[in-house]
Amino acid sequence: MSQLSEEERQKIINSSPIGTWALMLTVSLGMVAAWLFLYYGVFLPRGAID
Amino acid sequence: MNTDPLKKKWANAIQTIADLSKGDPIHVDPLEKRWAYVILAIASLFVAIIMIDALVHDINPPSHVETIDSARLHLSKEFAEDNLGVQVDGNGNVTVRIVAGRYGFYPKQVTVPSGTPLKFRWVSMDVLHGIHLPMTNMNTMILPGYVAELKTDFPKPGNYPLLCNEYCGMGHDHMWGSITVVAKEHWTAPVTTASKGDSDHE
Repeated sequence: MSQLSEEERQKIINSSPIGTWALMLTVSLGMVAAWLFLYYGVFLPRGAID
Repeated sequence: MNTDPLKKKWANAIQTIADLSKGDPIHVDPLEKRWAYVILAIASLFVAIIMIDALVHDINPPSHVETIDSARLHLSKEFAEDNLGVQVDGNGNVTVRIVAGRYGFYPKQVTVPSGTPLKFRWVSMDVLHGIHLPMTNMNTMILPGYVAELKTDFPKPGNYPLLCNEYCGMGHDHMWGSITVVAKEHWTAPVTTASKGDSDHE
């Protein structure tokens, strides 16, 4: 059950979605870090194919 | 044949597309748009890294095209039985020649030095085969009638399994071999003869 007043509810709805930003940042950084690890840490050290 | 309903249908579809192209009738949530921008930025970053790396280190996808008569490999000088395996030419270039076919690789095992540029030349004596060396980047198809040539080096010594990764028949799952990579200083070049390493095909 929501304990929020209508005013508080509106304030939250109109405020910046910090949780979403945090999630976007976490997922993006995690994905980039994982890719960089696979590319520079696994793929390139195995030797290029020409 | 009455084509009026079809014409009306097409006219409506074209009108719908025309309406959609005016302004921004499809509402996209600003957060979704930002997600799309983030994904585009990440994809662009990855592509840029790969392109810069390829340009700086002069890495190109294998593009060697060379034909050979797969039915007469045993009569060719290069892929005759005596010439298969590892060979070193007068300049110290290491070439590995392997024939794939009849659910096996010939020779089944080769030993190469680590950290050394290697040229692999693969041919098929019968049908389409493929090679895959887990824990390395070596992976290609071997088409009958063509020489699959790859240049690489193996930085880490070890015993790498060699598997056929193109279904080639009932014995496909028995088609395997191995490539042993030993430290450069412990590797001994095989003895070569004057007749080895020649090519008599186009």
